Amino acid sequence: MSAPNEANTPARSERSQRRPVSSWREHHGWSAANSLRRLASKPVGSLLTIAVMGLALALPLAFYLLLSNVQSLGDALGRNQVVNVFLKTDQVASNAQLLAKKIEQHDGVASVTVKSPQEGMDELSKMQGFSDSLHALDNNPLPYVLLVQPQDGISADTANQLVDDLRNEQGVDMVQDSGTWRQRLDALLGVGNRAVLILAGLFALAVLLVVGNTVRVDITSRADEIGVLKLIGASRAFVRRPYLYAGIWYGLFSGILAVALAIAIEFALADPVARLSQVYEGKLHVGGLPPWLLLAVPVAAAVLGWLGARLVSAWQLRRAA
Amino acid sequence: MGNAVIRFDQVSKRYEGGHEALSQLTFEVAKGEMAFVTGHSGAGKSTLLKLLALIERPSHGHISLDGQSLAKIGQSGIPKLRRNLGMVFQDHRLLMDRTVFANVELPLVIGGIAPLERGRRVRAALEKVGLLDYERQLPASLSTGEQQRVGIARAIVVKPTVLIADEPTGNLDPQLAVEIMGLFAEFQQIGTTVLVASHDLPLIKRIKKRVIVLDHGRLVADVAAEEVL
Repeated sequence: MSAPNEANTPARSERSQRRPVSSWREHHGWSAANSLRRLASKPVGSLLTIAVMGLALALPLAFYLLLSNVQSLGDALGRNQVVNVFLKTDQVASNAQLLAKKIEQHDGVASVTVKSPQEGMDELSKMQGFSDSLHALDNNPLPYVLLVQPQDGISADTANQLVDDLRNEQGVDMVQDSGTWRQRLDALLGVGNRAVLILAGLFALAVLLVVGNTVRVDITSRADEIGVLKLIGASRAFVRRPYLYAGIWYGLFSGILAVALAIAIEFALADPVARLSQVYEGKLHVGGLPPWLLLAVPVAAAVLGWLGARLVSAWQLRRAA
Repeated sequence: MGNAVIRFDQVSKRYEGGHEALSQLTFEVAKGEMAFVTGHSGAGKSTLLKLLALIERPSHGHISLDGQSLAKIGQSGIPKLRRNLGMVFQDHRLLMDRTVFANVELPLVIGGIAPLERGRRVRAALEKVGLLDYERQLPASLSTGEQQRVGIARAIVVKPTVLIADEPTGNLDPQLAVEIMGLFAEFQQIGTTVLVASHDLPLIKRIKKRVIVLDHGRLVADVAAEEVL
């Protein structure tokens, strides 16, 4: 052992007072790195915790993805579907043309096609099984039909108003649209949206509890270390900081895992959805999760992790004091 | 004593349940002085050190440390006080999952010392206790005596004005115990005030420093260094 030889450097307290900002930054850097090392030192436990949290976050994401695609499917099937306007049988071609021009001026209408009784008959005759029966008819019983194509992205209210207006037109016998089932779909989507919000809230709470419990167990298992830190002059904030960073790491990694799972689900759905889109002649625009959400989930999860760790560490360290 | 660093004035400590650990204790330790506090188990040695580190508060009386009244230090001021106080424990209190270097570095990290300066001071402290070659090892791979020296390095790395040690040689063989006490004596020589609680009378006699003897919480003898036989 060599003789003591105190270096001629300023006392510690003087030095730290001169560099409070860099000292604060170094404390945070040390705590962040230290908490990462702790997570890495028990890989199985850390990975399991992150997996549980990641799955909890992925579920509402997957549900949101499913819901947005159902909405898109609904749009493709319903809102932009052609409305068939059957005219009374006494309406002649000129009446049909006049009414078609009038309807084209209506808000929310993209185009109107006039289908004559003969064209209707030709379509029917091409269908298997109808041909013989149609030959037995003395005259063509089919009316003029106007095929009204609503504009893309038309709102449900505008579509309903259009159908009501068409029904009130003179010479119109019947209007066939998908309004009822579209309303049902909209109502179902509303329920689904609310369910996603509730699920997201519940799973966020689950994430909060998982992080909180993990931090609680960690603090309990490190009671001796906390005692030592306090004895050598660590403030409560210094003792708590690594646990807060642990919460942030757990949240961040689980958020990244949740996003990865959601992207994997998107990929798994890509092929069948593409086939479905082809069936609807490309009208079905099925999208993935928006980029802002992919970024927001890890950030929100990190904030949740921090919050869970903060709540529990404040309580647990007060008990340990 | 005008240059007293540690001052106990009529200090008593009564724990919940009525046990009186210290009673009307009055003494001073001067700057750069080394003193032993001795007595049987339950004499109040550890309580005395706990009062100095503000682990406990006195029931009566007044304690000052380096001119500062401990009664005026609130809960939030305790960490700052402890950062300027070197503490050595019988059971070392090392973090077994950190290297020797990381253990000794810890008070400097807490104190906000820059990384380069930390490295320099940790190595200087490890050199003083003869463990410079062990900085990358985990404490578990060291002997008990070496672990105690790591604990001492951690205490002195902050350059404390006061170094307190609670039975620092309790788990060591006589030869190692003398070495450790020799280290404390060396710190005293550079101006650090050293207060060591120990019940090892033969060792205390061998070191020949001032001895404060407690019995059932009362000061029964205060023997100057030159009077130690």
